[in-house]
Amino acid sequence: MQGVVKRYGNAVALDYVDLAIYEGEIVGLLGPNGAGKTTLIQTMTGMVPIERGTIKLFGQSNNPFTHANKEKLGLVTQEITVYDELTAKENLQFFAGVYGLKGSERKERVQEALAFVGLAEYADKVPTKFSGGMKRRLNIACALTHRPKLLIMDEPTVGIDPQSRNHILESVKKLQEQGTTILYTTHYMEEVQEIASRVVIMDQGQMIKGGTVDQLIQSIQHEERIHIDVADTSLLPVEQLQSIAGVMHVDVAGTRVTVISTAGSGNVDRILSLVKEYTGVLGIQTENPDLEDVFLTLTGKQLRDGGGEA
Amino acid sequence: MRILSTVQFTGLRMLRNYIVLLLLLVVPILLITVFSFILAGVETETGEKPLHGVVKIMVVSFQLFGGSIVMSYIQHEFFTAHRMRLNMIPIRKELYAFSIMMCGTVYSILLGVILMLYSQFALGIPWNWAWSIYVITLMAILSSIVCLIFALAVRSFKLAERLSEVYGVGFILLAGLFFPMPDNAFFDFMGSYGNPLMLAMLSIQAIEQSNAGEAWFTANILLGAVVLLFVLMLVLGRRRIG
Repeated sequence: MQGVVKRYGNAVALDYVDLAIYEGEIVGLLGPNGAGKTTLIQTMTGMVPIERGTIKLFGQSNNPFTHANKEKLGLVTQEITVYDELTAKENLQFFAGVYGLKGSERKERVQEALAFVGLAEYADKVPTKFSGGMKRRLNIACALTHRPKLLIMDEPTVGIDPQSRNHILESVKKLQEQGTTILYTTHYMEEVQEIASRVVIMDQGQMIKGGTVDQLIQSIQHEERIHIDVADTSLLPVEQLQSIAGVMHVDVAGTRVTVISTAGSGNVDRILSLVKEYTGVLGIQTENPDLEDVFLTLTGKQLRDGGGEA
Repeated sequence: MRILSTVQFTGLRMLRNYIVLLLLLVVPILLITVFSFILAGVETETGEKPLHGVVKIMVVSFQLFGGSIVMSYIQHEFFTAHRMRLNMIPIRKELYAFSIMMCGTVYSILLGVILMLYSQFALGIPWNWAWSIYVITLMAILSSIVCLIFALAVRSFKLAERLSEVYGVGFILLAGLFFPMPDNAFFDFMGSYGNPLMLAMLSIQAIEQSNAGEAWFTANILLGAVVLLFVLMLVLGRRRIG
């Protein structure tokens, strides 16, 4: 998609968004709640019309949302969209049927999808008897029976136990090995760090930055990050810390203050002595940056809460 | 063919919806049974049994509520999170909506026929089967269309539900089944030819009295309402679903 704009009233949901997804890769779309991830999915699947820009799907830009192209797409919705009155097997039979699968082929694909998400032994149980994680896995399986070329997963691990999350992440990696291209949206940075070939960071309807995890982390290697555990964060002179030469950002969370500075600015002594003037220092730690840090640096926000300025 | 493949699952979902079964099958069976005890042995001066009329009007009355099945399934598929998944599926959405409507209507007719079977074989109420099923079919289709119009015309599903209840309870009320209505032209009309419940009853009674002309006339008014409202439903459906 190129230069895509979508507004809801005065609110800009997508602001000249460019995104390319190449065959065989897992693109991790990372952004806080309200960043525009779901709107992006809705526009790239033709569910909501765009105001500007172009969308090209499987090489087709003029009316890309044909039935033929939809057959190559799979969607794992953020909300669980399975039928509670149907068993796991019947749910998959329903979705396989609407993709035109019949007879033995349909039976085979349903069994394959159930086995893939680890629900083969629960085939004849209704989802109301499932745990949250099992429902999520069934939700994923519903999008797999027709073997999509491009699978869009909209926050597929929200609200589930670590065991199910691991199972889902392993499944995503297996799908990629089988040749499926995946767009994986989440606000859990450790998930994209684990599975994504490429990461795109999105905030307030804009694509902030994209690249491999390593490339993104390297892009902020010009920074130093110091974590200082203090006795009382309420006494911290945050504004004074921010005014020290080289300091880019100060983040206070719990009993810890994180100071991000330009690399080589030589201000560590000054920072420590200033903190010591106001409160006791319990410990100091330096840390290699991760995607969370990339996000914080690029947007000034914590990824998890998605909201407040840090 | 793809739409046809969904029908069996829509049907299964309806059959396994125990609340619908409770409200549209168990409750009327209980009510009919209670009335059969109350009116057992009661006869008019002309030898007619009031129980027969009461049971028939109850069986037909519950068809007024059958449309709520279609309404809730359409709402679930097209106006909740399912909409997103449905949008990705390579099928014609309006045909899928129509298939849900047909399933719900057939299910409602089936429940009506079960009530007829129960009343005939357990309570000895005689029915003109072919004609009564035709009239019940018209009532089921009308109810489905009316409820769909409510679901498509208003944004809030809760409001649509309330409107569907007003449709059902309102026409029972206007038929004077709860208490007598005032004696004026409006209530006379709404208690006869302006009321689908009364049209259905008049039609069933007319055929039992071998008055085929009146039976066809009243049934055709119902049919006319079905056709007119179907057009309205199509217009609204294209706007909201298509």
